[in-house]
Amino acid sequence: MKRFAIVSMLFAVAVAAAGFFSPGAASAEELKLVGTITKIEISGQDATTASVTLKDNKSGELVTVIVNDDLTLDKFKDHRIVTGDEIRLKYEVKDGKNVSRYFRKTAGC
Amino acid sequence: MKRCLIVLFLLMTAGSAVQAKEHPGKAYIEKNGYQGPPTCETQGCHPGTAKMFLDTVHWKHASPVTNVEGLDPGKEYGMKNRIYTMCNGNDIVNNLKEIPPNPKTGKTKFTGCNTCHPGNHISDVGSTGKEAEAAIDCLLCHSSAYDFRQRKPFRDEKGLVVMGQDRGVKAAMAVGKPGIKNCMICHEAAGGGVLVKRGFSFTRETDVHAGKGMVCVDCHGAKDHKIRTGYDPNNWANDGVRVACSDCHGEKPHADGDTDRHVARIACQTCHIPRTGGALAKDFTRWTQGEDGFFEPTTLRGEANETAPVYAWYNRTVANTPTFIGPKGSRADKESRLYPFKIYEGKAYYDRKTGALLSMDFAPPMATGDTLAGVASAAKTLGIGEYDPVPGWQTIYFGSSHLVTKKKALSCANCHSPNGALDFAELGYSAAEVRRLTSAALYFDKMAEKQKEDW
Repeated sequence: MKRFAIVSMLFAVAVAAAGFFSPGAASAEELKLVGTITKIEISGQDATTASVTLKDNKSGELVTVIVNDDLTLDKFKDHRIVTGDEIRLKYEVKDGKNVSRYFRKTAGC
Repeated sequence: MKRCLIVLFLLMTAGSAVQAKEHPGKAYIEKNGYQGPPTCETQGCHPGTAKMFLDTVHWKHASPVTNVEGLDPGKEYGMKNRIYTMCNGNDIVNNLKEIPPNPKTGKTKFTGCNTCHPGNHISDVGSTGKEAEAAIDCLLCHSSAYDFRQRKPFRDEKGLVVMGQDRGVKAAMAVGKPGIKNCMICHEAAGGGVLVKRGFSFTRETDVHAGKGMVCVDCHGAKDHKIRTGYDPNNWANDGVRVACSDCHGEKPHADGDTDRHVARIACQTCHIPRTGGALAKDFTRWTQGEDGFFEPTTLRGEANETAPVYAWYNRTVANTPTFIGPKGSRADKESRLYPFKIYEGKAYYDRKTGALLSMDFAPPMATGDTLAGVASAAKTLGIGEYDPVPGWQTIYFGSSHLVTKKKALSCANCHSPNGALDFAELGYSAAEVRRLTSAALYFDKMAEKQKEDW
């Protein structure tokens, strides 16, 4: 019984440690860029998500992010944000996908 | 219980019935299309509304201003003609135009303060007459299906810069009370970008009113398109009708009488808006070039709810000098209450000879970064022949009336402690008063009792 308790405790510690050190448990690094939108694809049932591709102003590379926040999705739908707009973007990598956390036009009045 | 449920059900269905009520003009619009205000005024629906709208701040971008010192009582002031350092341009000197080609890219673009004007630019800020009436873009504020790709400046066949409008049937069929996004088209990105000017966002996460499903016009209601506004020291133009928290919440809104006593000298905003946001400072003498080759004023940006406000006495009259725009008032003045303000500092050019703040046409510096060329263009427009530009700073206190919170409102210990939010000495209290006001003795028993109840 005592051996069982010790083994169980060790197993629980091992599981906890695995969870702590697994990539999903740690807070993801926030990446950011300023870039120009090259494509917007609104998808999902009731258009609740969008895939947006931006060209990074500095590197010239294309970065595709998933946008889920309602306010930004609304701006895609009524074309307040369109391809060609310059965007300040902050995103994190989650389950292998770039997920937007901050998506804002640089332009003002 | 059963009766409560029945009453609740009836209330809910009654609400749905009100929401489902259609705009009575839909059939007419669907059949005849939408041609702007003449469509709205036909059939006897909104007669005279367009003419009335021309006399509002949204059209004129100016109004008589009675609470700001140093102004000519015979003139009107506002975005049309003000010179200060959040924008440094105005509708006159920074009128919508195509900027010169950027030397690096050869590209141009359209820019101007009156990009945010519900006309078509041909009928510009403050214009009058039938042509101006017909140019009003009613749907910009009143449609929930406006296609904003239509609202872009372009050159017409005569070479004139025109602001496009969506006058499609789809947009016209979706007409109704303005929603948040209708207001935010202009008011979100004023001053150079989203959240720059006043630094507030109006979402469920940032404002308790938005969290209750309210929209801007629930507080900033309008009659004949004259829109109710507050007394922001930096928002001068007004339609002559005002809004205050007490309009809905009364003068004794708290369950606790001690808290209610504060209302006499402490504005609601002081406790219920503990943070501000937006740009901290801008430098119009030094523009930063972006990756697209265009320049913009160098701006220190801030997000909503990031900045601690400054608290000051305010009696709703405004100090106005070339280096300071902000509240007037004092502890001794019974008309004054303590308000929170967002501090902003702007650097621009002053005339060394007169001390006056100079304004700027954005087109030259946006293309080339040459800020003095912008000053020269503005001076030419205003008929200023001689001036000697020197850089200087202006401090502006912006009113803070959004980002309202209930849960995170300041409570006793936030102010009545040695390290509290209020600098009582600076606010005119004696050393003895400060010692009393910053002691937990003021609220200890009450807070202890509340803590016991909460837990």
